[in-house]
Amino acid sequence: MSAVISVEKLSKWYGNVLGLSDVTLDIEAGITGILGPNGAGKSTFLKLITGQIKSNIGTVRLQGETVWNNPSLFARIGFCPEQDAFFEELSGKCFLLHMLKLSGFSGEECERRAVRALETVDLTGAGGRVIRSYSRGMRQRIKIAQSIAHDPDVLIMDEPLNGLDPLGRRKIIRLIKEFKSEGRTVIVSSHVLPEIEAMTNQIVLIHQGKIFAQGDIHYIRDLIESHPHMISIKCSRPRLLAARFIEEKDVIDVRFHEDGEMIVETNDRDSFFGRLPSLLLKNDIDIHEISSPDDNLQAVFDYLIGS
Amino acid sequence: MAQPENTSSMGFVSSVKNVFSFYFLLGRKARRTKVFYFISLIPLMIAAFAKFAELVLQTHHLEGIYIFSNIIVAFYLQFLVLILALFFGTSICSEELEGKTLTYLTTRPVPKAALLLGKYAAYTLLIILMMAAGVILSFLILNADGLTDPSRWRILFRYLGVLTLGLVCYTAFFTFIGTFLKRSILFGLIFSFGWENVIQYFPGSTQRFVIAHYIKSLLPSPTTGRFSFLLFQLEPTPPGRAVVVLLVLTAVFLALACLVFSKKEYILED
Repeated sequence: MSAVISVEKLSKWYGNVLGLSDVTLDIEAGITGILGPNGAGKSTFLKLITGQIKSNIGTVRLQGETVWNNPSLFARIGFCPEQDAFFEELSGKCFLLHMLKLSGFSGEECERRAVRALETVDLTGAGGRVIRSYSRGMRQRIKIAQSIAHDPDVLIMDEPLNGLDPLGRRKIIRLIKEFKSEGRTVIVSSHVLPEIEAMTNQIVLIHQGKIFAQGDIHYIRDLIESHPHMISIKCSRPRLLAARFIEEKDVIDVRFHEDGEMIVETNDRDSFFGRLPSLLLKNDIDIHEISSPDDNLQAVFDYLIGS
Repeated sequence: MAQPENTSSMGFVSSVKNVFSFYFLLGRKARRTKVFYFISLIPLMIAAFAKFAELVLQTHHLEGIYIFSNIIVAFYLQFLVLILALFFGTSICSEELEGKTLTYLTTRPVPKAALLLGKYAAYTLLIILMMAAGVILSFLILNADGLTDPSRWRILFRYLGVLTLGLVCYTAFFTFIGTFLKRSILFGLIFSFGWENVIQYFPGSTQRFVIAHYIKSLLPSPTTGRFSFLLFQLEPTPPGRAVVVLLVLTAVFLALACLVFSKKEYILED
């Protein structure tokens, strides 16, 4: 399969700050997840492949054409930027109509496509309201709508699930998968591993401006599974719960922080979570907060790079 | 797979038109426009007050066209044209950067030069209308008793033409400045009320280095009254040549602005 996007020896500096370093990569049709912690270089990569910024070294080709200063290419590209920025005085529908007009559609076609895009992102009822009055989730959805309204071949989305509620997330994930099933190319960035995992198996890991790994997400998952897992718990009777945990074989360590937070280290995450509800019920313990710091991508990267 | 059907055939002019209609709408809705619209109506209040004083208070009688000419020279030429052109011209580029909306424009199949020219045309038309509303209404109030006199109308149209040319040229200049300077407003203020307001009073050919010289060369002569000192030392360029110079300057500034805007990399700060 030929590459839809091809970058070679791509580097970008912002003054003395490294944005991206010596990236060579081919992206094929389908969904590709760009994964990396905040500040890793994901947005820089996406800005480079959409011609927002110019590389210091290297080339970017999209469907065989250079991207920088090649406006005709943008009839085939949809871009959903990360920043929460809009023409605030416009209504959602008016915003879409004008973006479509700039894409070269006739008035009637703009209307049809704007209505369809609003429907797709569940904003039909709010299309007439000014964007200034939108909630965070609605703003995110109208941003997605402008990126898909012109039916692009290549959809590039920078953290598209930010600010969406679980239902909204599911819908956008479904939309992205539909794009893939139509043979199109979608590139999605995120710093949240499960978000990317819900969309695709194909990932590119970026860390400190470099491509750290590329390929199947299961490779990363396996690494995570084989790595001792940390779970943070805040509950009503932490000492009792800690005593129960210590009795289990898969629990390696239990520590307490000053604020009452308990950190449990286990080498079998699935068994741990399978057992937890019955343990809580049996001992009448209320959970206030539970989180898994290892699910944070930074922790995975720290582990992978051995820090 | 669906493809935008019109994009390949969309020419440069249609792109400019689409950008124009977008920004003409946005410009009308902007809060800044309302503020400047209010400022541009200040002469209207002066005109109304003068008329009121003449009719009701029976103060000393000054001819309407005389007050009108002074308003044009003192308020419009020396202040409003510069301020409108400065704030709208520099914002053509800077508001997209500060508002981080540039991305939406540069990811459309529209050449960057078309984006800039479309927005320039929209904002220039907007400020011309703003200026014209104040000028025409002031004229009507101050010359209510002489509207049948064709010479007064000729003066009105002459002033409207001069002010329009001024706005077109200054806005092009500030558009250019805005494409490459971060603090373009500060530079613009220094340019407008420093360079332009000083050099135009230099004798000899030095005064030809300012835009204001060519605008003032087009004023109906003689401009008399309290503010005629603002035309002090003016050694006018012939009107035809002044118009050509203003149009050439506009074209050069716009060409440079398009060049910079197309080639320069704009990084939106996080």
